[in-house]
Amino acid sequence: MSPLSPQRTVRSLELTVRNDLADLPALRDAWDRFGAEQQVPKRVVIDLQVVLDEVASNIIKYAWPEGGFHNFMVRLSVGDGAVEVEVIDDGRPYDPREAPPPVQVAPGCTPPLGGRGIHLVRQLVDRFDYERTGAENRVRLTKRFG
Amino acid sequence: MTTSGLKIAQGRSGEVCVVTLTGRIDNSNAKDVISELDTLIGSGEKNILLDLAGVLYLTSAAFRALLVATDQAERNAARLALCSVTGHVRDLFEMGGLLDSFTILGSRDEALAQLS
Repeated sequence: MSPLSPQRTVRSLELTVRNDLADLPALRDAWDRFGAEQQVPKRVVIDLQVVLDEVASNIIKYAWPEGGFHNFMVRLSVGDGAVEVEVIDDGRPYDPREAPPPVQVAPGCTPPLGGRGIHLVRQLVDRFDYERTGAENRVRLTKRFG
Repeated sequence: MTTSGLKIAQGRSGEVCVVTLTGRIDNSNAKDVISELDTLIGSGEKNILLDLAGVLYLTSAAFRALLVATDQAERNAARLALCSVTGHVRDLFEMGGLLDSFTILGSRDEALAQLS
């Protein structure tokens, strides 16, 4: 059985993802297929692959510090000239927009290993919204094209 | 069916060990890149060239892997360079603020000429 269960409506795709990095390839493949079906420009599909990897992996790694099995939801919607990515989890409250920018180091010095994911996301989307609703984090990302 | 998304191939040109990455480097497979480079550096390779010509995109997990490997190479007196970093992949390095953090050479031929 596939770890992801697609429930397709006309132009949106809803996926349930487990808090396991092993689910990321199925998410990636689903967006590849759906983006191509909906004739989203290839560059936009790729940019959002990076975005999905960053946002989903952050949730998988940090949303449930107590561990255990959890799911979160990813909804991809293609409208006129824009793709909206909505990610909803019931982990600890976390607004990714508050992630600090990466630390700058002098040329020749070793940069820090991490802290770049959300920085990339900011540059790859046109809108980055977040709200905490009840026990849920809701991240909504919009990328325009065309 | 899901795929690993990344192919790692190894070759040799004189003293240089060339690792060709093809596909996507993300949170699901960046550990494979670390493990490949870790093994090569551990086995005493002193000149490693990573060819990214076939990389469709990479994410911050890939940057982390490359930074870890670069650090390990330095500690083992080895040289790790990247080549064929172009187009969208180059843009992502720039967005990550990392164009100056690696030895990035031109095409594979240019890189081999410089490293040999």
